[in-house]
This record gives sequence, C-alpha cells and structure tokens, in this order.
Amino acid sequence: MIEAILNIGLVHYLILVMLLFLTGLLGVLISRNILRTIMSLFSMTISIVISFLTFGFYCDNSLDNANITSIFILTIAVVQAIIALVILYKIYQSNEYLDVEKIKDKEN
Amino acid sequence: MESNVLYFYALFFAILISASGIIFTPRMYMALISLLCLICFSSLLYLTLNAQYIAIFQLILCGLFLCAYIFILLKKIGRTNLKLKLVSPFKISVSVIVAGVFSALCWLFFKEEFNNSLYDIFNFVIVKSTDVVKFSQHLFPLHIVLLLVFVTAAVLKIFLEKGEQQ
Repeated sequence: MIEAILNIGLVHYLILVMLLFLTGLLGVLISRNILRTIMSLFSMTISIVISFLTFGFYCDNSLDNANITSIFILTIAVVQAIIALVILYKIYQSNEYLDVEKIKDKEN
Repeated sequence: MESNVLYFYALFFAILISASGIIFTPRMYMALISLLCLICFSSLLYLTLNAQYIAIFQLILCGLFLCAYIFILLKKIGRTNLKLKLVSPFKISVSVIVAGVFSALCWLFFKEEFNNSLYDIFNFVIVKSTDVVKFSQHLFPLHIVLLLVFVTAAVLKIFLEKGEQQ
C-alpha cells in the first residue's frame, strides 16, 4: 500500500484529474454566480489537459501529440471563457446582477 | 521519502485546494486569486511531465491574460467584493450525489475495463481496433457508460422541469 503511494505513476495523475474534474463539476452545479461557473469550467479544462499530458508522458515517448493537442484545448478554452465573459457583461448591463437564479426568474 | 514524491503530493493538494477555493471562497477577488493559483500550480505540474512549452503557454495565456481580463471586468462592473452565493441545500445535496455517482461509475469503468492496471489502456485500444470478436469482453463497461448517460439525462430533465415549474 505504501509502495503504491510512493511510486508516482499514471494512476496518481489520473486520480488527480478525476478529483479536479469532479470539483469543477460541483462548482458548475452548485454555484449561483456565473463568473464562478466559468472559472469552474476552466478548472475542468485544466484537468483534461493534465490527462492528455499524462498519457503523452507515460504512453507516448515523443510527447508531441499530447503537447499539440493540449495547446489546442487551452486556446479554445481561453477563447470560450472570453466569449462567455463578454456575454456575461452584456447580461450584467441589462440585468445589473450576475445571479443565475435571479436572471432565470426575470426571464420567466 | 524522495523529493519528487513530496513535490507531486504538494502540487496534488495545492491544485485541489485552489480548485475548491474557486467555489467556496467568500469573496469574488479571492476566487480569482484561487484561479490564478490553480493555473500556476498546474503549470508546475506540467513541468513534472516534461511539458515546458505548455507550462509557459498556460502561464502567459491564462495566468496573465485571462486573469487580468477577469479582473478588469470585475473592476468595470464593480463586483470585486461580491459575496459567495450557493444554490439551495437541496440542490447542493443532489449535486453532491450526482458527483458521487459520476465518480463511482468512473472508478468502476476503470476497474473493470483495465483490470486494475491502467497501463493496459493502449492494449485496450489495440484490441478494440484489431480484434472484433473479443469486443464482447468490453460489454460490461459499455453498460456503465450507457447508465451514466441515462442518469445524467434523467437528472438534467428533473432540474429543467423544476426550473420550468418555478
């Protein structure tokens, strides 16, 4: 058991990925603030990038594929976050608040 | 204990603490600091995986630009001190159950599919691509995936119906 804890390998990184992804998912589900939801989505994206790099490191010696895929994922995630923030700003301009439930109530 | 083991576990807990900081910190600027910490710690983790370029790329693109962008936005709308607001306790408990079910299914999937050894993942891909007859061996994990999809769809439907009723 102690050996399994001390020998860092693929499984340890994947456990981290799973926990990080679950934390992000929990943030998306329980947060009422849109900004926190966007940040939680970003932490989920980071967990995916870590999983790609881990598989690249442990299963593919060249690491090129993992690096290139990760660059694409990160770029798309940042662009997506910025678009979401712009939409959020527009929502704020018309509603004056960032609370998801208040916005839903107003729409209803 | 070797230094790289300590380094890994320090980063492991630092990343998880900063990720939970995004959700549970009482003020919005603290959540932003947590995001910045998450980006920095994950960049350090990339270095342990020999991915220096990604680490620098993430630090510049996310650490500098995205966090600065969010900070400027928060300043502009005057919400840097915005208090933490969570959904109702009922929804929190449902979300925790959903996350628990999801993690249990993930764990079951890995355990059954890779037979307690994740190093077999590429063997799994090779078997899938070359041996059609042995595909029946993987039917049980496929059930888990289908179950996961149905559970998620059911939970989403309940949430949506509740929202419509309110």
